[in-house]
Amino acid sequence: MTILTRLEQWKEQGKISPVQHAHLAGLSRGEPFSLFLDLNVLLYAGVLAFVAGLGWTVSTWSQQIGDVVVLTTLSTILAACSWYCFSRAPNWSPGETPAPSPIFDYVLYLGSLVWLVELAYIENRFHLLSGRLDPYLLVTAGLFFFLAYRFDNRFVLSLGLSSLAGWFGLTISRWSTHQDEAYRQYALLYCLLVCVGGAILERRGLKPHFFGTYLNLVANVLFWAVLSGVFARQDYGPWFFALLIACGGSLAWGLARRQFAFVAYAAVYGYVGVSSLFLRSVSENAAILSYFVVTGVAMLVVLVLIGRRFGRQE
Amino acid sequence: MRIYSASSEETLRARKLLTDWAGEGFLTKEQYQLLEQDTVADLRTTNIFLRLVLFLFTLISVGAAVGLFFVVFLSRPSDQTTGFFFLIFATVCYAAAEAAVSRARLYRYGIEEALAVCSVGLVCAGLQVAFFSGSPYWPKPDAVCSLVPAAGAVFSLWIWRRFGLSYTFLAAMIFVIFLPGYWTSSHSVQHVIVAVFYATGLVVVTAVRSRHRFDYLDEVYSLAETFLWLGIYLAINLKLSSLDLPSRWWIDSRADSEFSGWFYWATWVLIWCLPPIVLVRGIRQKDRFVIAVGAITAILTFVSNKPYLGWVRHTWDPMLLGILLTGAAIFIRRWLAHGPGGIRRGFTAERLSGKDKHWMNVGSTVFGLLSPHSITPGPQPSSPDHRFGGGHSGGGGASGDF
Repeated sequence: MTILTRLEQWKEQGKISPVQHAHLAGLSRGEPFSLFLDLNVLLYAGVLAFVAGLGWTVSTWSQQIGDVVVLTTLSTILAACSWYCFSRAPNWSPGETPAPSPIFDYVLYLGSLVWLVELAYIENRFHLLSGRLDPYLLVTAGLFFFLAYRFDNRFVLSLGLSSLAGWFGLTISRWSTHQDEAYRQYALLYCLLVCVGGAILERRGLKPHFFGTYLNLVANVLFWAVLSGVFARQDYGPWFFALLIACGGSLAWGLARRQFAFVAYAAVYGYVGVSSLFLRSVSENAAILSYFVVTGVAMLVVLVLIGRRFGRQE
Repeated sequence: MRIYSASSEETLRARKLLTDWAGEGFLTKEQYQLLEQDTVADLRTTNIFLRLVLFLFTLISVGAAVGLFFVVFLSRPSDQTTGFFFLIFATVCYAAAEAAVSRARLYRYGIEEALAVCSVGLVCAGLQVAFFSGSPYWPKPDAVCSLVPAAGAVFSLWIWRRFGLSYTFLAAMIFVIFLPGYWTSSHSVQHVIVAVFYATGLVVVTAVRSRHRFDYLDEVYSLAETFLWLGIYLAINLKLSSLDLPSRWWIDSRADSEFSGWFYWATWVLIWCLPPIVLVRGIRQKDRFVIAVGAITAILTFVSNKPYLGWVRHTWDPMLLGILLTGAAIFIRRWLAHGPGGIRRGFTAERLSGKDKHWMNVGSTVFGLLSPHSITPGPQPSSPDHRFGGGHSGGGGASGDF
């Protein structure tokens, strides 16, 4: 029985109204057919291609074009984007706010990317901070967080989060000793900062729909950092313990909130960490393969049980 | 031929649509709960994350089990013995996949999919090791050796028909790419053979698809048609399907091309003709995947046109492409919005499904994190002391090498 037949049946049984039937049957037949997603992808690809070409052109021809022309052009685009966004934006609301126009999000994204190109150009040409890029990244992260919350834009929120991660990374890269250890610790600090910040903002009702973005990023950075500690040749014990805690937390969160990405993180990252620890002391092929057979099947059983208990089709 | 009954798959489809419609407010909560009782399927499904993880662990288990068998029971087996056991394991995997569906009623559950995929891989490995172990893996003209990719293609197609897994159709198309290398050394003929295979498949798929316009199989055939259109395009676009593609794009490659002049220019004409045909087909069928592949092939034609003609590429070419894409998107959106009720010729720019919003949210998060890395330019080559670019961490490349 196709969906159209079902709809007809439901209408005859009085479960849906004739108006609903007409609307839903139309949707099932693709009448009207929505190009919403396609046009958004086209806009995104267009903005990305434009900024890529802009950055490429500036970096290749800046000497021939001259600083004045380059900076004027970039500043004009930036000013136009800023004017458009601030003049069209509705009053700020802490909840999820729809974009005032279909191209609004992409104009904001274009402006954000052009800001990055201009900032990089200025430091490259004039060395205002003697090549120190971390202040730029910190300011940029702050600006992007402000814009993301002002205009309710996930593109710019992601840019802000990656800029903040870049600031943490660059700050450590100048340290000469124990870099891996320092990276891990600062990755944990980054996770803590982003997670706590996101949680506070969510608790206060400030764009609570952004919290998922924070958590997914934090989970992945956290697991990578902890796994790199587990892979270390020395002092991996505390990191393994941390991995178990992280897996437990991720699993509990995923099951409690029905967010199965976190169950998947716990399963995959946990399995990789435990396997690396087990396999570093085993060299016999039969033992290694037996390990994978036994643990692989065990994981399947556990995941099937989780799937039966919690994980119906989303 | 399909392992799942039509009624089960239609019921699952209806259930998904109900969830989507209820999320969009087209149905009240009470209506949704009432109608949901009419769409109880006998198949066991799971969500995408558990599906992926189950797929991964099934692959690990099967791979390790096969390896363990050889380590424990066979020491230094001959190639024929190894190949023979690979074929036995392929049979076992396939039987297990069938049993997982018929007994446990698994549907897109990861486990049965991985078992089916393993069976394809083991069949190819078994045939290769048992019969052609002395032959190099890289194809050379020897028709008998084409048995391995041919078997891979046929078996993948069978899995596609039996289980409805669209990625196995793609796998079959990839196997087909290797076939002509065993039959001829002429690159032109190889391109033509692959394109003819795909075109034949397209004719068959479009003919069969017309009978399933509004049922659950429409999406399966839609994806197959999409892959075939893309495959035909890639087979005829010599600038995209050349193996030494990256190095060729920056030089005039017309002169040293191994393709004859008429063939080269015929493919150039075709890469301009195909995108409009695909787009028109997609728009007429109101098929999202085919429309998408039409747009992708159009962009690829713009991108590969200059290398085709041997023209110099400019740094501002991506800017022009970006202006073209955004301009086209804005124009189409406005044109649709100015129609009565925001609809023109059955198309609208409005969002009608919750899935669109979900994909937008996921896409904007992921691409927002990834895109700064890909758009950052490299240093200016002509002036060593004038460096600008890099960007190895986030923040749009502001952290790279200046």
